[in-house]
Amino acid sequence: MTGPLRTVELPTVPPLGDSYRHALTAAAAGAVSRRVGRAGRGGATTTLPDVTLSAHGVQADAERLTAYQHLVGEPGTDVLPAGFVHVLAFPVATALMVRDDFPLPLLGLVHVANRVEQRRPLRLGQELDVRSWATGLRAHRSGTQVDLVSEVAADGVTAWRGVSTYLAKGVRLAGSAGPASEPGSVPASADDDGAGAGEATDRQPFEPPVPTATWRLPADTGRRYAAVSGDVNPIHLWAPAARAFGFHGAIAHGMFTAARALATVGAVRGESFTWSVDFAAPVVLPTTVAVRVARRDPATDTSNGIDTSTGTGTGTGHDLTVWDPRRRRPHLTGSVVPLPTA
Amino acid sequence: MARTPARSSSPAPSDPTSSPTARPAYVLGGNRVPFARAGGPYAHASNQDLLTAALDGLAARYGLQDEVIGQVAAGAVLKHSRDFNLTREVVLGSALSSRTPAVDLQEACATGVETVLLLANKIRLGQLESGIAGGVDSASDAPIAVSEGLRRVLLDLSRARTVGQRAAVLARLRPKDLTPNPPRVDEPRTGLSMGEHQALTTVEWGITREAQDELALASHRNLAAAWESGFFDDLVTGYRGLARDANLRTDTSLEKLAGLRTTFGNHLAAPATMTAGNSTPLTDGASTVLLGSAQWAADHGLTPLAAVVDAEVAAVDFVHGEDGLLMAPAYAAPRLLARHGLTLDDLDYVEIHEAFASTVLAILAAWESETFGRERLGLPGAFGSVKRERLNVHGSSLAAGHPFAATGGRIVASTAKELHARHVAQVAAGDDSPVRALVTVCAAGGLGVAVLLEAA
Repeated sequence: MTGPLRTVELPTVPPLGDSYRHALTAAAAGAVSRRVGRAGRGGATTTLPDVTLSAHGVQADAERLTAYQHLVGEPGTDVLPAGFVHVLAFPVATALMVRDDFPLPLLGLVHVANRVEQRRPLRLGQELDVRSWATGLRAHRSGTQVDLVSEVAADGVTAWRGVSTYLAKGVRLAGSAGPASEPGSVPASADDDGAGAGEATDRQPFEPPVPTATWRLPADTGRRYAAVSGDVNPIHLWAPAARAFGFHGAIAHGMFTAARALATVGAVRGESFTWSVDFAAPVVLPTTVAVRVARRDPATDTSNGIDTSTGTGTGTGHDLTVWDPRRRRPHLTGSVVPLPTA
Repeated sequence: MARTPARSSSPAPSDPTSSPTARPAYVLGGNRVPFARAGGPYAHASNQDLLTAALDGLAARYGLQDEVIGQVAAGAVLKHSRDFNLTREVVLGSALSSRTPAVDLQEACATGVETVLLLANKIRLGQLESGIAGGVDSASDAPIAVSEGLRRVLLDLSRARTVGQRAAVLARLRPKDLTPNPPRVDEPRTGLSMGEHQALTTVEWGITREAQDELALASHRNLAAAWESGFFDDLVTGYRGLARDANLRTDTSLEKLAGLRTTFGNHLAAPATMTAGNSTPLTDGASTVLLGSAQWAADHGLTPLAAVVDAEVAAVDFVHGEDGLLMAPAYAAPRLLARHGLTLDDLDYVEIHEAFASTVLAILAAWESETFGRERLGLPGAFGSVKRERLNVHGSSLAAGHPFAATGGRIVASTAKELHARHVAQVAAGDDSPVRALVTVCAAGGLGVAVLLEAA
């Protein structure tokens, strides 16, 4: 899959802080009109920007790489962790989401799933080309979903590909029907009492597995990940800001939780793998979560990574589960599966 | 695992050299201080103080004052950064000659047993004639670190050159940076304490509360009997008013143990079974083991007690839940015995360090499991059973306490003494067959060590 042909080169990678400031301003300005739009069931626009944003010569910063590795528990090698590549590509994707022709509001978007395909290792010092585009705008039971696709290439070869799926809760596409049961009902914001993906009811009830670890996540977890990732979305930084968006407190970045689970798999994941996660209930900070990162049971192997249809054999790879041990509900489920060697 | 041809063609299982190129290394004796509960009589004694007390007791017992020993190897698990040369500092403050070299070593709870192996191997290779192995830990005098924030500020401050730079660095300090960090006993990669890890293993192997309490009771009874019989009279030197292991409960009973509240595994689906009674307490203590060649022993009028025949180390992947954190000895011991053509039935004594009662019971259960034997050990079936009357015969860590790095020395010295006594009795009865002991110690990080000792 490639993005739209029309490519806009970004002269520099836009700082994320600017994007969020832009988004906050837009949110404030658009608060009234958007509410009117939703109430009137006119809905958001139905098209995505027909453009691929592109940034050249992106380089990892050694200092920031070290801080990232220490925070998520990756060994301090010169190989860029797959989650760190996401951090490098994220500003380009975000630049797309703050464009005026992007139909969903950046603030309030819930990260519900992330799929990364690490095809070959990327290293500190390499010049990287990042391309991002949006695709798959679609109605969802509780709003509208969209995929932000980013590809990172070195020496003209795509080495990393990420698909981040976001949900705009309560935002309806023009012309699409709302939930049949409660037409017109619009949740004000993300609801941290329910599964973020809003699909929990479609699944089997969650049975907590035997834990292999427990993570104590202090109140500043979001601020620490923001410092190394640049993702300064206010819902991760301070409880009052998060409450303004409907959460019970500051919530951990999904990509922090996912990156720590990936780090726990360790070097056995190999140099090329798919790393797929679904985010369920947000991790409200501070908290202690239960974790299981274990080799997948061949009997229950239901690979859900990208391109696993090609088959990677049974019993390879690791399953990731992060959950709330008291309320017995999942925060994250996913897998890390080796890519078949080409 | 690669083996040298000389090793794999190792002939007689009873030959304590196990390799034609090596000569035997012997345990000649040992000395420790009584183990104290944390916060007790040793509360203000440092690791250096405790290890010096144990070492000076050894020197006094074996006439080593002013003696140049080949090398002293020791270590501590909870270690201050200022103790970068702990063992050498202890030697300099001890009765030994100041020309005695020293080395620090660290392998979590297997530190003590690993120091024995290091020196025994050097003796076997002819690099040393004598050595003193040891270990010490003080849970009372544990190091406390400054916060990561303060540490970074202090380091950057030392590199700042101008007043402006210093001010900028100091401005980064936040009140929470002033909160100190006590040492963590959690596994760094899992965040689970050792007890919580063991609770998972306990459930996995279906170890009951009753079985754990019975093992704990046996440990206290055996240790009490050993103290009563004077077994420790030439193995322990009193310190700071303490003459016996303070954790020992001579009056404990199954009823008392059964009444204790559970401390680990309280949040698992299965009922919790682990209590303060069937887990080891935080302990302060130090131990030493005197090792030497046959010639050195003869020159000093000392009787070899047991040969350090061989050892095997193992590690398990607890990070991904494939094995319990403390299960590595279940792998190390079968490999060690196989190398010598031995089975569990060939051992007169089996010492399995009692990190928790359920650690010992889970290892025994694994050895008795057909599935574990086939799938994990690559054997045709179960590895075998340990006769309980041969297990931890003079009590172990549940009763004595467990000052991490000091435990290996305690077990090796006691076991060597027991092996020798048994062998002497057997020979007197006209039986010169070998008397052997297996010692295993589990350690943080999924590590485990197994040692084969044979009476000299």
